[in-house]
Amino acid sequence: MTILNDPPVQSPPQPPSAYSPGLGKKVISWLTSTDHKVIGNMYLATSLFWFFLAGIMALVIRAELAVPGLQFVSLEQYNQMFTMHGTIMLFLFATPLFVAFANIIMPLQIGAPDVAFPRLNMLGYWLFFFGGLIVALGFFTPGGAASFGWFAYAPLSNAIYSPGSGADLWFLGLTLGGLGTILGAVNFITTIFTMRCPGMTMFRMPIFTWTIFVTSILVLIAFPILAAAFVVAFIDRSFGSVVFAPENGGAILWQHLFWFFGHPEVYILALPFFGIASEIIPVFSRKPIFGYKGLVFATMAIGALSVAVWAHHMYVTGSVYLPFFAFMTMLIAVPTGVKFFNWIGTMWRGSIVFDTPMLFTMGFLITFLFGGLTGIILSAPPLDFHVSDSYFVVAHFHYTVFGTVVFLMFAGIFFWWPKITGKMLDERLGKIQFWLLFIGFQVTFLVQHWLGVQGMPRRYGDYLPADNFTTLNVVSSVGAVILAVSSLFFIWNLIVTWKTAPKVTVDDPWGWGGSLEWATTCPPPRHNFTSLPRIRSERPAFDLHHPELAPPGVHDRPPAVAGQQGSTT
Amino acid sequence: MGSRRNWRRSATVIAVVAGAALLTTGCTANEAFFFDLPEPATVEAPIIQNLWNGSWIAAWAVGAFTWALMIWAAFAYRRRRQDEVPNQTQYNLPIEVLYTVVPLIMILGLFWFTARDQTEILSMENDQSQTVNVVGFRWSWAFNYLDEDVYDIGLPVGENTTNEPPTLVLPVGEKVRFELTSPDVIHSFWVPNWLFKMDVIPGKTNAFEVTPDKLGTFPGRCAELCGTDHARMLFNVKVVDRSEFNQHVAALRAKGQTGFLESDRQTDVGLRPSEERNL
Repeated sequence: MTILNDPPVQSPPQPPSAYSPGLGKKVISWLTSTDHKVIGNMYLATSLFWFFLAGIMALVIRAELAVPGLQFVSLEQYNQMFTMHGTIMLFLFATPLFVAFANIIMPLQIGAPDVAFPRLNMLGYWLFFFGGLIVALGFFTPGGAASFGWFAYAPLSNAIYSPGSGADLWFLGLTLGGLGTILGAVNFITTIFTMRCPGMTMFRMPIFTWTIFVTSILVLIAFPILAAAFVVAFIDRSFGSVVFAPENGGAILWQHLFWFFGHPEVYILALPFFGIASEIIPVFSRKPIFGYKGLVFATMAIGALSVAVWAHHMYVTGSVYLPFFAFMTMLIAVPTGVKFFNWIGTMWRGSIVFDTPMLFTMGFLITFLFGGLTGIILSAPPLDFHVSDSYFVVAHFHYTVFGTVVFLMFAGIFFWWPKITGKMLDERLGKIQFWLLFIGFQVTFLVQHWLGVQGMPRRYGDYLPADNFTTLNVVSSVGAVILAVSSLFFIWNLIVTWKTAPKVTVDDPWGWGGSLEWATTCPPPRHNFTSLPRIRSERPAFDLHHPELAPPGVHDRPPAVAGQQGSTT
Repeated sequence: MGSRRNWRRSATVIAVVAGAALLTTGCTANEAFFFDLPEPATVEAPIIQNLWNGSWIAAWAVGAFTWALMIWAAFAYRRRRQDEVPNQTQYNLPIEVLYTVVPLIMILGLFWFTARDQTEILSMENDQSQTVNVVGFRWSWAFNYLDEDVYDIGLPVGENTTNEPPTLVLPVGEKVRFELTSPDVIHSFWVPNWLFKMDVIPGKTNAFEVTPDKLGTFPGRCAELCGTDHARMLFNVKVVDRSEFNQHVAALRAKGQTGFLESDRQTDVGLRPSEERNL
């Protein structure tokens, strides 16, 4: 805890609420809520549910792969497992998790009372909720859930090779969920453009809000393509159109459309979480973010480049112009590197303390760096030819996506839990969870680089004893068990602190928060603020709570010009 | 300052332990730093091996530098007093320009080597001695030896009583062009020891050339999800000398496997030398 010697910062006391509704009334109030914080919490809870479900599927996958032969599932069930693991993790966990954090935090950071379209926000949640249910219902159809991999390559995903309604539910459910995401993005962009509070210029917005802004633009570019492609694939399946038929070049057309969505999607997942890291590191280093404008431009550059690299997923198809896509892909390393050095620059000569949010963020830095290095290797077509579609790629994208989304999700949850619930999570349980998660993750996924380079393809439910893949697969499965245990500590932490943790009475329990969410109560009132501080820098809450360190001009009003009543700034 | 000396000591200990672990487990540099890249078995594969090793040396150097920076910062600037207030530095333009430009130069270098090597690997001179039309189908492989007018075909696992995967036999030291076709879904033709794979796509004929230069039998696997028995879609590549290759062709002919298995091979990847001569 870092409450320190600073005088606790307290908002004006709220009138005590005389009336406490029963559970039924509370549930109804959640289900009918248009409050961005409540909807954000519902997104968070729902995506965590899917996270644990898809995590159990990952355990089935690791159990099956530990030794050669089939022990737990058939090859067809195995295909369903990794298909739904990938689908749920990307579409029903990571993407809505971005919407969750954006909903909970972004309006607070720009001093807005809510999002621009509260009811659209609610509609988006319910589209995601029912879309997810529809996708998962595939498991209860006679043929089982979709089993063609999360990128549903044509013609494998057509009606001949994937008959059965599980696949239809997959296409339709994801289209519905995708629509919800599009509505969320429209809402965020409008909110950021129109609902910033007085003084909150674009270049005073917190980096997290910037990343939500760029991410939402990427959503508007990528998700409509995906939704259209899914609908056309469904029409191919159900009504016999031949858009993705191989004799029309449909096999490659599908890959282009899918990856034109798929690669921006990777950055839709990564950018908001980079934003979370950019919020946490300054608070626990007691320094402002280093190179604010550089970070903003790096975020924009990553967003722009991310729509020009999709065909690096298609090097081995022999159908793309390799030099262009290789060069664009390698270029992304530059703004990503800028972000890394900005984060290190923020820590440099700071006063760093390893509370759980910072610990998870360090875990992200160490892990994601390696995912970035393997990404550079994969960006070179001659190297990708060998390791494409192997376990090397599986390891690479877990280092990037798990390293970013999961590590920084926990960082963000520990960091903002007082804003969400008014209580702190337990630091000791959080640290145990971190170390188990970090070690379990490295054990599970580091060895997979070797498996892939030695020749183990991805999406294999079985391998031969003669392949010599057994030892490393055993190691990987042991790591998966450690990962699973780490999540138990998180669940235990939620339960324990829900029951016993004291209420947070200060606005900023971490002490050195910079953005506006730390200038209101934990949790904030219905419309977020009872009063707003003067915003004259990127760190209004910091300027408010540490006036002695605020830049000149924040607290001393400029001399009044006659007739203008001193309101010239 | 005592604590600083302690870290130096622990850093030395870590380095010694890591080095000792490497030595005692008998890890080679290839196993430790290059992820145990398979032994190259074609004339072209060493190009990829060199690029792989060189890129990893650069990647490990960048990684070691950046990890060292972040871990150093985490230890060196840890909070020592509760009331510490560091300097509120917000930017440093020269350093920011430096760490934008240096990575840019590095990737320009990588791109140069990449472009050079991929051009060489993918070039097709049409001077091969054998042309093999590989047909990937659910879930096995067929090989049309176009210049020898024979074929061989594997059986999917369900129908395969011997459990032996199909074997592609190639003469050592002779350039082979592969033309990849599929009658059903996308597959991928991967021989790990060639450090190369290419997708087998319905409605499209993909082609590449390699020259196997090591005798022996090498495993091959389908690398693109193709349905239930994807993991059973294995094959072997057996590289033999010319006389043994001729015997294998004669044996296939004796079994009556002459002509081509039907495939939708298109000639837009270039005619075989023999086809050109016949025109």
